Amino acid sequence: MTELEFVFGDPDVCSGCMICANVCSIYYYKVISPERARVRVVRMEPALDFPLFCRNCEDAPCIAACPQGALSRTSKGIVIVNNKKCNGTGACVKACPYNAIHINPDTGKAIKCIQCGQCVDRCPADAIFMTTEKDLAKRDKDGKMMALYEKHSKVLYPSEEDR
Amino acid sequence: MITGIGGQVLWVDLSKGTITKKPVDEKIVNKYLLGAGFLSKILYDMIPAGTDPLGEENVLGLATGLLTASMFPQASRHVIAALSPLTGIWGESHAAGFFGAELKFAGYDAIIFTGISPKPVYLHIEDAKVELLDAAHLWGKDVFETDDILRKTHGRQYRTLSIGQAGENLVHFAAIMNDRDRASARSGLGAVMGSKRLKAVVVKGTGKIEVADTKNYLKQMDEFYKRMLANPFTPGRVKYGTTSLVELMQHIGRLPSYNMRQGVFEGYDKISGEAINEHYLVKARADWSCLQRCGRYTAVREGPYAFEGGAPEFETQSAMGSRCGNDNLEAVLYGHHLANQYGMDTISLGGTISWAMEAWDEGLLTAKDTGGIDLSWGNHDSIIKLTRMIAMREGFGDVLADGSALAAERIGRGTEKFVMTVKKQEIAGQEPRAQKSMGLAAVTAARGADHLYAFPVLDEAGFDEDIKKRFGEEYLPEMADRLNPKYKGIMVKECEDFMVMVESVGLCKYGTQIPPEFFYDDIALALKIHNGLDLTGDDLQIIGERIVNLNRLFNARFGVSRKDDCLPERLTKEKAPLGPPVGEVVELDQMLNEYYEERGWDKETGLPLRNTLERLGLDME
Repeated sequence: MTELEFVFGDPDVCSGCMICANVCSIYYYKVISPERARVRVVRMEPALDFPLFCRNCEDAPCIAACPQGALSRTSKGIVIVNNKKCNGTGACVKACPYNAIHINPDTGKAIKCIQCGQCVDRCPADAIFMTTEKDLAKRDKDGKMMALYEKHSKVLYPSEEDR
Repeated sequence: MITGIGGQVLWVDLSKGTITKKPVDEKIVNKYLLGAGFLSKILYDMIPAGTDPLGEENVLGLATGLLTASMFPQASRHVIAALSPLTGIWGESHAAGFFGAELKFAGYDAIIFTGISPKPVYLHIEDAKVELLDAAHLWGKDVFETDDILRKTHGRQYRTLSIGQAGENLVHFAAIMNDRDRASARSGLGAVMGSKRLKAVVVKGTGKIEVADTKNYLKQMDEFYKRMLANPFTPGRVKYGTTSLVELMQHIGRLPSYNMRQGVFEGYDKISGEAINEHYLVKARADWSCLQRCGRYTAVREGPYAFEGGAPEFETQSAMGSRCGNDNLEAVLYGHHLANQYGMDTISLGGTISWAMEAWDEGLLTAKDTGGIDLSWGNHDSIIKLTRMIAMREGFGDVLADGSALAAERIGRGTEKFVMTVKKQEIAGQEPRAQKSMGLAAVTAARGADHLYAFPVLDEAGFDEDIKKRFGEEYLPEMADRLNPKYKGIMVKECEDFMVMVESVGLCKYGTQIPPEFFYDDIALALKIHNGLDLTGDDLQIIGERIVNLNRLFNARFGVSRKDDCLPERLTKEKAPLGPPVGEVVELDQMLNEYYEERGWDKETGLPLRNTLERLGLDME
């Protein structure tokens, strides 16, 4: 199997400008709306800005959770939502350990990052990049980046009642 | 139908506790746009002569621009306006952040507050749900505590705008803060909010902005982004924000020092952008859709001035540093942090303290006046102490809390001649003897001393090509010469028209004026693809000119005329003693005559002529 790619960002470099979210919502839905973007940006102190994307988990609990079978993995390793099957039950939203799937309030369908890279190309801070688990380990040799995600996981990936 | 906006205006009557939603009046938008222009019109119609700035009749307006929440570079801004308690005339202030965009996503472009609430309240907005809630538990809290409590109560995705203790205590230069460290600082609007017993506004919006030209939108924004990123100024802005202006201003002798006795400071390198980067900068941070990220997040790790947070920018380095003869950078950074925490304008804060320091130096103020506080130049311990005492209105801080003009009036003894204000607002970090256009701009600005109303930077550092483009080759080399008063009236007029228009569409002056990357035609194009408006660059210039004239009419209502368009005598009569501008004074009358002429204003009264008002469609306003 090809290595699974995902978009990831450095919270020490991300400036929090929201351009990735704006690019995403205008590209897919022709509107500007962080609520309708497939990325979320969370700002917190001290001086951290987390751009959060689908992590493209190997075991992809979202696929298994969907009672409609609307989620599947493509031959390129991307987990996609079949809009014809999705009826917005939100089981995938609950199953995602990274709070990276949301229901678009306009369509009632699940939306998630599909690693298209539109935002990566336009990030003015060069804070986000397309990566794999192996590549990320190389970029984050001292583990500092991952430690920040770990340390703040409760805020970044809140349980449903805390969202 | 205008696209790309929230669509509604909230009218909040604090006396009655009622909230009314009305659609944005498109007739006003066509004539004045949104943001600064919109508020100029609304407040002109609502605030009569004789209004008490801290009384029930004053109106506090907040408005986003037409492009706020768009994808245009730096489209993050909102404007706040009211009758100013510091100056008694037009009060206006602007900030970046995320609050403005969030308000749009909730469906609103502006909020107009009238009356005075019988008890402390805050406004809670969650999309269509809008309510006034009890703020008893927030009164007395600082800006950061207020943000913490409100986001804990309502959700961490909320954006907050609030006053700190300075606003509650009616400090005449209190700021209105948003997103923790963004400040609508000038004009003392925090005191107006405090007088209305309005502690905060919290907003969460889950809506969307629909743009006019969905097909070409992203493609066009890509073009704007490419230009912004390719501009030679951008890497420096990312690296230093505005902090390295200390070095540039020292170089041209425009760094106000020792209360504007001079424009050079021997300790400039200790408070410079380089010094901040070397020891204290943690991260550059951006606001909504900002590619330049001039926001600084800094930390002092130990000692009496330990803190971390958003700070500083050039104006504070100048106001709390060189202007007070203070080269202790940790105290400058900490002072900025405290001003954010209590919610105060650092320019007027530093300007007022430096007035007191000069009066002390001249022996006109003594320990008896200050309650034992030593006001020797550079005493950073005293600067920090006074910052808190001003916010709390304690002891000598209560005298300074009214600003330097009123403080000098109260103290007398000849201290008046050290007041560096125009129309009672402290002059910002531009020693005008070293850049004549800045002297004129401080005088003609609607809100009293102000560098931003015109922001005439085209003579600052090598913008000859832009002068050629915007004015014509015949204005060179005089217009580009900082020390030559010639053509500065023409330049300031042109810049004012452009800048008030920029404040009406919600864009930043960085990217439009310095560097001058985007001009009228770019903004007209953005308004077309975002808002579906068919306005030309020329239309936008006329709108800007109309707003400037309406601001002047507002001020005329409060007695302003040519007699008030003046600088402290030091700047027009005493020759600059040191540095590159040595021997210079500001030739104000010459520049003013040219300015009034260019504006179509009467040279004797300094007020718009009848045919000027008719040309701008203001004769019926």
